[in-house]
Amino acid sequence: MAEPSYEPAATADITVLAERRHPVEFTATAGEYFRIWIVNLALSIVTLGIYSAWAKVRRRRYFHGHTRIDGEGFEYRANPVVILKGRLIAVAAIAVYYGTGRFAPQYQLLLWIPLIIVGPWLLVRSLAFNAYNTAYRNVRFRFDGTYWGCTKIVLSYAWVLLMPIAYPYFKHRLLRFIAENHRYGTTRFEVADFKKPFISAYAKGYGLLLLLVLVVPPLVFFATQSNRPKFPIVIAAMAVFLYGAMFLLFAYLRARTTNALWNALGIGPVRFESALRARDLMWLYLSNLVALALTLGLAAPWAVVRAMRYRASKTTAIASGPLDGFAQAEAQQLGAAGEEVADFFDIDIAL
Amino acid sequence: MSEFAAAYYDGRTSARREVRVHAYPGMIQIVGEGLRLDVPLAKVRVDPPVGGTRRALHLPEGAQLQTDDHAAVERLFPRRHAFEGWVDRLERGWPWALAAVALAAVLAWWSVVDGLPRAAKLAAGLVPQTVEAELGEQALAFFDGRMCKPSALPPERRQGLQRGFAQLTAGLADGYAYRLLPRDCRGVGANAFALPGGALVITDALVKLARSDDQIAAVLAHELGHVRYRHSLRMALQAAGLAALAAALFGDATSIVGLATTLPVALLQSGYSRELESEADDYAFRRLKEVGISPKAFAEMMVLLEKGHEKRSGARSSDYFSTHPATAKRIARALAER
Repeated sequence: MAEPSYEPAATADITVLAERRHPVEFTATAGEYFRIWIVNLALSIVTLGIYSAWAKVRRRRYFHGHTRIDGEGFEYRANPVVILKGRLIAVAAIAVYYGTGRFAPQYQLLLWIPLIIVGPWLLVRSLAFNAYNTAYRNVRFRFDGTYWGCTKIVLSYAWVLLMPIAYPYFKHRLLRFIAENHRYGTTRFEVADFKKPFISAYAKGYGLLLLLVLVVPPLVFFATQSNRPKFPIVIAAMAVFLYGAMFLLFAYLRARTTNALWNALGIGPVRFESALRARDLMWLYLSNLVALALTLGLAAPWAVVRAMRYRASKTTAIASGPLDGFAQAEAQQLGAAGEEVADFFDIDIAL
Repeated sequence: MSEFAAAYYDGRTSARREVRVHAYPGMIQIVGEGLRLDVPLAKVRVDPPVGGTRRALHLPEGAQLQTDDHAAVERLFPRRHAFEGWVDRLERGWPWALAAVALAAVLAWWSVVDGLPRAAKLAAGLVPQTVEAELGEQALAFFDGRMCKPSALPPERRQGLQRGFAQLTAGLADGYAYRLLPRDCRGVGANAFALPGGALVITDALVKLARSDDQIAAVLAHELGHVRYRHSLRMALQAAGLAALAAALFGDATSIVGLATTLPVALLQSGYSRELESEADDYAFRRLKEVGISPKAFAEMMVLLEKGHEKRSGARSSDYFSTHPATAKRIARALAER
């Protein structure tokens, strides 16, 4: 550990002693999760989807329980009946969405307008539901960001639609909103400035992508001058190349932006260290994809466990004080409709 | 009497206290440093077991016990969670997991090839005809706005088509208001399609391709079958069901998996299924015979469409033939109808 040279040795020692590092442990195994996944999947199909709410709770409880900090696991406390109600509402909404797309495609674009209005609501409700139903050391998390707070951010960044390159600024603001409005019990999450590493991650990622796209195709073009392949092969190669480049960009951004946010996060006396590496994630995602394709999806549990284990292995909670001073907040009543609709439309902006 | 070790949380803070829990009939006693608490078992709520994760006992006023002593919890609350306890036992055994793989595969396969079409047929039957007509109007507005212009055929030719169509639909008492709408749709080549509620669009290119009015009537009779049996509605419901099934199967995997599964689903949705096509064919053969046209005209039209498709293949393949492949089987079936 690097000690600042300008501080007296004695003080530095005390700091070192007072700070405790708690690496996040992840004790789930692929085999055990595979059995849970497939048994619950089969039950969901047999019950025409009704059981799927229970299946979701069991899967989440499994992962929460196997994620541990300082030897203590997380709890997922959602009530399956509430999730089932949310799912039924989600199914109705999706039926309208699909029906419109099929029979009145001219209105499907119009559906995006309510989605823009409803989007912030979905996001806020989904985050609130998940936070409230997650507990650690018998203290619940909380998300109390408001619909208006979220909508204001979306509206004030509407200009990004005209300038998509500025999307990272919007994403940064939204993540900041999400993080700042979380609480652990009554203790609010604090977020230090992470704009610089966040934006620079996107700048580098976009830059590398641009470089790749500008350099590789001309190189290939000249290299194959004497023996030019047929046009369809060129098109296919370009598609594979572009898809691959986007894939690498995705992994790179995931690693760098996650690190940027988590390294800026503080909860009371606890801060975090996130050291995800872009090349690790690239390999992880790529090998997961290959495994899924080769096993017709049966490797999904293995892929999920592997990704979560990697994330945990690179995350450490650093506590400068004891973890037992967090106070519980008052109880709440929350529905799951927002969470379930958001789930279907893949609105997934978790921390 | 038995006892086990646990962590106690009072429900107000995250402070953890190591305690011993003594089990007596109908109650537990929690003993720790500066703590002695009696709680009736009836006031304790226990979570169902999941894959070896720590067990939580929820006590009154938000307090909680957490323990890794699964056996002790089972002794305290035998059969508290009959159903999820059973699920938990299934989840522990590999034979059950393998059985679940087989069951999931068989059921998923069955629901795609048989269950979903059946359910869609049932559900489509419940949709009122007025709703169908409304859906058809909206689809037509979409075609007219984006893909089609009014027909460029001479007025006499269009009147002739309408006369033939009137003969074809004369006396049909199935509640649909059938209408023939000739259109000039360059993007879709020689084509005809049925909209829910009874509107039939036929393209100028198809009219020009046909050698006789009987051949046109044959294609239109087939499209009438699609309307009569609500095929577009059924396909839409089937597609939605398929999407829901895919979401249920792969919903919890990562978004990359989602990406990989949406493509095959999209491919499955294109065009009517072969089963619906032959249902519409059967209807067409029956109807043609009723109005005194030989189903042979249908076979002739199929051959013409196939030739036209082959001639222009590659350049513009989104014509009638690309969504209604005229297999030798379909032609043979038409020729067998006399």
